[in-house]
Amino acid sequence: MSVLTGILIGLATGVVFGFALEKSRVFEPGAIVGQMQLRSFLMLKIFLSAVVTGLVVLAVLNGVFGVKLSLKPLLWRADIIGGVILGVGIVLSGACPGTSLAQVGAGYRDALFVVAGGLTGALVYGYNDAAIVALLAEKGEKIGFDQLLGVPFWLGALVLAALLVGLLGVLEKLTPWRGEVGDDADGLLPMTSNPREPATVAKGGPRTA
Amino acid sequence: MSVLQKRAWSPYAAGVLIGLLQIPTFLFMDTALGASSSFVTVAAHLATVFDPAADKIKYFASHMWGAKNWWQVAVVIGIALGAYLSMRLSGARRRSISPVWQRATGTTTLAARAPLAFLGGFIMLFGARIAGGCTSGHGISGIAQLSVGSTIAVAAMFAGGIATAALFRRV
Repeated sequence: MSVLTGILIGLATGVVFGFALEKSRVFEPGAIVGQMQLRSFLMLKIFLSAVVTGLVVLAVLNGVFGVKLSLKPLLWRADIIGGVILGVGIVLSGACPGTSLAQVGAGYRDALFVVAGGLTGALVYGYNDAAIVALLAEKGEKIGFDQLLGVPFWLGALVLAALLVGLLGVLEKLTPWRGEVGDDADGLLPMTSNPREPATVAKGGPRTA
Repeated sequence: MSVLQKRAWSPYAAGVLIGLLQIPTFLFMDTALGASSSFVTVAAHLATVFDPAADKIKYFASHMWGAKNWWQVAVVIGIALGAYLSMRLSGARRRSISPVWQRATGTTTLAARAPLAFLGGFIMLFGARIAGGCTSGHGISGIAQLSVGSTIAVAAMFAGGIATAALFRRV
């Protein structure tokens, strides 16, 4: 495929992705920090809905049409160490690598610093990739839970999708999403009575809708 | 009001739409949705500006050229465009920084927020590149492929995120 075709497909995919991220409010730092303090579950709801859809889509693409999957290898140390570091960064920046760009599009100015920091992080990692890979010293196989359990991928995918739909049903019952969006759609939950904190964060009166 | 002008969609509808993007990605690009390696592609090209030997580094070289690398750069640029478009249609323009930072860290100005935002971005991408993926590649795509490694990586992300958020004030 030519680079230009790839770019056009990427742009089309990204515009839909970014539109959905903005509408879902998951790009809001309020939603991300709220999720990680286990006060709001908006991020988990969007995330798991995308996973469920992906599971069904791939069960069909792989199970019916034989489309090849694209798994990443299982690297215990890299997955755990890298994952924890990534999680720390997600909370400090209030963004994921993808949603940082949605924040830029929606107008958050600090997101430009997140993106600049991200580029610098990728740069520093790149210069040290060989050393880090040597330090972690592991070789991984591309392995899925379907292989571990000895079931066809499509079956494992559909079973997990069904379980996650059940989990989402329970989550929604416990914390309805409309209560998590926030008055200004910024993922901020109503203030709880906490004497150490200011009564309101809105500056200059109520914001317009 | 058209559905495109709404400020917020149901998270389930938005999640389904994002998940459906796996269809063109697998069919046309022979890969899964991801975001973080695009930072390497751009960083590698920026590196060659001040370090002409940067493209001799294998990791950079493998991310610099080809349809798949530039496809992902286009995806993240598209994300910014799509979010801008959605924001213009709904009028939910964001300004400066999110009010959540006042609650979490007492920060009210961009200047005060910028250093932590930069550091957060740095740590985020450094971790994502060690793990070989982010919330998109390991999360949305990896778990949807029943990948064992991606599931471990996502559990680790939440562990790191929850521990860090506990250091903030309650939002």
